[in-house]
Amino acid sequence: MIETQGLGKTYGRGLYALRDLTLTIDKGEFVFLTGPSGAGKSTLLRLLLLQERPTEGQLMVGGRNLSHLTRDEVQAYRRTVGFVFQDFKLITTKTVFENVSFALRVLGMPIDQQRRRTYQVLKWVGLQHRLNAYPEELSGGEQQRVAIARALVNEPHLVLADEPTGNLDPDLSLEIMNLFREINSGGTTVLVATHDRELIKWVGRRVVLLEHGRLAGAEVAP
Amino acid sequence: MSWLSYAFEEAWASLGRAGRSAAISVGTIAIAFVALGGFLLVSVNVQRAIDRWLASAELSVYLKDDAPDDQRTALEEYLKAQAVVVAVEFISKERALARFQADFPELTDVATTLADNPFPGSLEVRLRTGAQAADQADTLAKSVSGRPGVADVRYDRRWIERLLALVTGGRVAGAIVAGILMLGAAFTVAAVVRLSLHARRDEIDIMQLVGAPFSFIRGPSVVEGLLLGGAGAAVALLLVWVLYLVISRSVGADAAGVIGEGGLRFLGVTEVMLMLGGGLAVGAAAGALAARAVK
Repeated sequence: MIETQGLGKTYGRGLYALRDLTLTIDKGEFVFLTGPSGAGKSTLLRLLLLQERPTEGQLMVGGRNLSHLTRDEVQAYRRTVGFVFQDFKLITTKTVFENVSFALRVLGMPIDQQRRRTYQVLKWVGLQHRLNAYPEELSGGEQQRVAIARALVNEPHLVLADEPTGNLDPDLSLEIMNLFREINSGGTTVLVATHDRELIKWVGRRVVLLEHGRLAGAEVAP
Repeated sequence: MSWLSYAFEEAWASLGRAGRSAAISVGTIAIAFVALGGFLLVSVNVQRAIDRWLASAELSVYLKDDAPDDQRTALEEYLKAQAVVVAVEFISKERALARFQADFPELTDVATTLADNPFPGSLEVRLRTGAQAADQADTLAKSVSGRPGVADVRYDRRWIERLLALVTGGRVAGAIVAGILMLGAAFTVAAVVRLSLHARRDEIDIMQLVGAPFSFIRGPSVVEGLLLGGAGAAVALLLVWVLYLVISRSVGADAAGVIGEGGLRFLGVTEVMLMLGGGLAVGAAAGALAARAVK
């Protein structure tokens, strides 16, 4: 699903965020990306979302080289990827339902399908009773569940999450991780960046360790 | 066209949030378009006056005082034989003096104190109208000036055409001024749209991340500009109409004497459409320009 070959990203004059990263993540895998702050976890996710372009090496997703996509191809690619961020990135002026259906609306899906699909996914994350609430009326865990619902609503092949439990307490973190496990059990590839070793142990999946922008090790947590 | 309905919804909401800055933007556009509308109003009515004068343009052939009757008769026959001529009327020296005294009674003394009647006899020639007739009349005016007994030829169309050239120059200058004002208005719209883009930055980031097409991402900005431009032009049309009513009431009767039946007229459908279409186009272009900031 994801393949990198000598992948690198530098900022300014020789400031490496990622260096010579060669990595393969298979389709349907659940992988944790971990390491200390500044290790390059978020940079790799930004490259995978094409928010930034690599300065070295190859980045392939689904057999497609992401280095040379046009502006419209980038948008088409992003429709196949779901994303979840630590700060939720919800639109404060829209309700829970609108935040999720928004992802379908901008893709031009007919309104009845938008409504049906949005309701299904919000029910799946357990927020069917908060459809008309605004983000500021929700707890942190609820906001992150809305973000997960939005990431899943267009049935992506790949879900990327950058510190998705960073703002949540341990119980809510486990709840969110359970949702990611369920997503993965449906065949979706999941890549979660986190520095929470306890959470990684609890979920027990493959771990990719980054340090100073380089691959420092890979292991399967017990 | 779901992007279009989305663009209108978002643009409307964004204008609601913008409030005062949107109102300032509409005001700036309105000022620019009032200038354009005022210029069109003057232009339309001056053109009507010129058209009227052109339609009634005459060729006056002034005779030498010593021109014998047979020369005058030959000249009259020559003129009547021309296809462009509708009618020829002889105005004697005495009739010319009487007409002057009737038209300018306050100057009667000036004319009577002179030893001799200073007014020449003339042939007043009424001409056909139309472009082809205008060319023929030009040729006739040139040919008749060299004929025996002719002292001078005055052709109304020439000074009207000089006036027309002046008016055309005025139109070009007016268009340049209106263009500069509209450019200023476009920059104001672009600034307001840029503020809205800033306010919607999070939403735009998310739209980009979910792979929204650029028509969705940039559409609201273009529509926002379109609405601001259209509103500004509509306000300007209303102000120009009020201006027209005020001028009509104050100089309506005098204007009717110059322009003819109906006196001053408001802008026609073409000019109204030009203003509204121009406002929409300027606004949309400014919105599109501002939206280019979203990469």
